[in-house]
Amino acid sequence: MNPAPSISRALRARQLNNYICNSCTQQIRRQRRSYVSTSSTLKSPEIYDVVCVGGGPAGLSLLAALRSSAATSGLKVALIESQDLSRTRTWDLPEGQFSNRCSSLTPASVKFLEGIGAWQKLRKERVQEYEEMQVWDGVTGARIGFEWMEPSNGTGEGKGRTIAYMNENANLTRGLLERIDELGGVDIYDGQKVEGIELGEESEDLDLRSWPVVELADGRRMAARLLVGADGQNSPVRTFAGIDSRGWDYNRHGVVATLLLDGQANRKTAYQRFLPTGPVAMLPMPGAFATLVWSTTPALAAKLKSLSPIDFMALVNAAFRLSTTDLAYMHTLEAGQVDELIWREKHTPFDVQHVPARVIGVQEGSVASFPLKFRHADTYIGERVALVGDAAHTIHPLAGQGLNQGQGDVESLVRNIVYSVTHGMDIGAQMSLETYVADRYTKNHILLGVCDKFHKLYSVESGPVVGLRSLGLRAVDAMTPVKQFFMRQAAGQGM
Amino acid sequence: MASPLRPTSIRNLNLLLRSAPRFVQNQFRAHSTSTSSVNPTEVSHFNALASTWWDPHGSSRLLHLMNPLRHDFIKTCHASQPDPAPSANLRFLDIGCGGGIFAESAARLPSTGSVTAIDPSPEVLAVAKAHAKKDPLLGGKLSYQNTSIEGLPLPKSADDQYDVLSLFEVIEHITHPANFLDACTPFVKPGGWIVMSTMARTWTSWLTTKVVAEDIIGIVPKGTHDWEKYINQEELREYFLKQRGWNSPQVMGVVYVPGLGWQKVPRSEKLGNYFFGIRKDVV
Ligand SMILES: Cc1cc2nc3c(=O)[nH]c(=O)nc-3n(C[C@H](O)[C@H](O)[C@H](O)COP(=O)(O)OP(=O)(O)OC[C@H]3O[C@@H](n4cnc5c(N)ncnc54)[C@H](O)[C@@H]3O)c2cc1C
Repeated sequence: MNPAPSISRALRARQLNNYICNSCTQQIRRQRRSYVSTSSTLKSPEIYDVVCVGGGPAGLSLLAALRSSAATSGLKVALIESQDLSRTRTWDLPEGQFSNRCSSLTPASVKFLEGIGAWQKLRKERVQEYEEMQVWDGVTGARIGFEWMEPSNGTGEGKGRTIAYMNENANLTRGLLERIDELGGVDIYDGQKVEGIELGEESEDLDLRSWPVVELADGRRMAARLLVGADGQNSPVRTFAGIDSRGWDYNRHGVVATLLLDGQANRKTAYQRFLPTGPVAMLPMPGAFATLVWSTTPALAAKLKSLSPIDFMALVNAAFRLSTTDLAYMHTLEAGQVDELIWREKHTPFDVQHVPARVIGVQEGSVASFPLKFRHADTYIGERVALVGDAAHTIHPLAGQGLNQGQGDVESLVRNIVYSVTHGMDIGAQMSLETYVADRYTKNHILLGVCDKFHKLYSVESGPVVGLRSLGLRAVDAMTPVKQFFMRQAAGQGM
Repeated sequence: MASPLRPTSIRNLNLLLRSAPRFVQNQFRAHSTSTSSVNPTEVSHFNALASTWWDPHGSSRLLHLMNPLRHDFIKTCHASQPDPAPSANLRFLDIGCGGGIFAESAARLPSTGSVTAIDPSPEVLAVAKAHAKKDPLLGGKLSYQNTSIEGLPLPKSADDQYDVLSLFEVIEHITHPANFLDACTPFVKPGGWIVMSTMARTWTSWLTTKVVAEDIIGIVPKGTHDWEKYINQEELREYFLKQRGWNSPQVMGVVYVPGLGWQKVPRSEKLGNYFFGIRKDVV
């Protein structure tokens, strides 16, 4: 038997106290006391069908999708975002400058975004599609080329197919917000943090004891038939629902930067090399630009950030060209990487065809780093709660799938809500949400697991695993059907 | 109700029952079970289930899972009409509503004007009412009444009649189905529908529903269905078609597949659960 609902609710409320910082809890208590002294009852919350916490890529596409579907357009929906969304609305960068937060969007994500009328709002001149990937093992040199191959049936299908679209996250969120503003009907509370979430109360004609009530900094209270946590890695909604998120920190940081490449040799290919410290990837942006995602140890990440632009560029070029031993040595230098590279490159054979064009510039202020984590929530749903995006799972960025998984979650959750609405189901009831978890959990888990194992496999520098590894990549490279399977996965078509 | 009681009228006896205290009902039933459609042993069995009605992992899980298919079936019935079905303000009468699984869902649909849901068990209705209170959307649209169909006042005009009269998993719990269906007829609008679901009375059905569902899978609590009382589809069809004024019988068979849920399976009405719908003549 399940524990009596009241007990589990009380537990949840208590768990939430851990989430709210002490001073906030005190503030809430104080507020409550003042309510008691003035009116003896708490102001009753405003009732919503969907309250979405978090206006990142996942949250915004959820709202755009709900508003653009006829079946769900009658739902009363709200968005809460702690950041000021006017900055997203007015986001603009001059030509030749790119945000360092970029994601590769799979054709599946793009198709979904098109369907909800959001992709049309993106600034396409800032999006770069690519049809080829070059992935290789930094230690053994084993390579796997990921260009789409002509299928044996001779249809020509598969040639010139896009693997993914490189895009600034801000370009996506700006476009989504434009679509939401165009559709209207979303109560947006931005620049405001969720101060607390607790369960509602029972009155004479209404029993909201199973409804989450979200409280904002300005004292506004909103009861949610369905509370969606699109609130990122440290999801307060997940904490409220008492859903544990398990995983580990990789003890790695992702260093990002916007790079200018030597235009002559620049190809629209994604490059990724597995180094013992983690993969380094260079992804094509429009023109002669590229974006860097280099996962490495926190110490090396700090070092990278401290270097002069010229030495930073030298180390990035080295990362795609030199042996891992040379690279490790260059990391130890305080400065002067640029001269080291010139000298060492002369003695290192590498195939110009298979490495990215030389970095000749780095955008000022674009070098930054983020800690990398592996997290997967135990489930994505609770009574009147659903999690999407990074709130549900955080993946190693090596496959560039994090944001895409979130889009997949949203697409699935909206499909689930549409079904519930058209069949008279309560969209927040756990029973109604079951098909959402059933649809997404295993798919995400497989992808999370594969990326995690890739990371671990390639973090080993010597020993039998390395031999197997080179065999593995070479074998994969030789087998077209297997490779196409991998590419379909990468393009989000396989799952 | 104000009309004087005629002892020969089943309907009037039931009017008396509606306002009578419970022990009177029970006494009465002990003498004459044939006058009410409601079988008292069935009622007590469902009372025992009342507390778990809304537990998603409880014994009503199969009904919860089947509920969306009921709406699909009603849509199929409406789509089969030569004239367009009403798209707004639909009136539902849900008989034997239990904890309100169907009644709540019908009331939530934007095209629904009102749902009247009745059940003879006060315990079950208390569960239904308490649950409906959790959804602010239902307040104005859904009303529960502790009565049997015989206890409901007859509609005075077409406005009081219903677009859809539903009898989900009810027929097999009723002792005298033919009388019961007779009692339902005046409540349906011309052009309206009676929709129901039940299990086919065949050996396969007995095997799949009675043995598999009740004993093996353990999801349907033991004793829920007395298969002797199942009405098979031909019988229902015959009943309706014999009466003047009914048309367009619709059938949809559904089978519960563990791991996949309820699936629509053509011609499976001879095997497992099936939906049956019939339309009242427009006049
Ligand atoms: C270095 C790095 C590289 C990456 N590269 C890729 C890539 O190439 N491809 C890819 O697909 N993915 C990539 N990712 C992952 C991708 O950025 C994330 O998966 C994506 O941003 C998650 O979107 P989200 O909407 O789920 O969460 P977020 O973007 O984290 O949004 C959550 C939102 O919730 C708000 N919020 C949080 N708490 C509260 C609160 N209490 N009240 C109100 N609002 C709140 C936050 O302000 C935020 O706006 C990368 C990640 C990193 C770190």
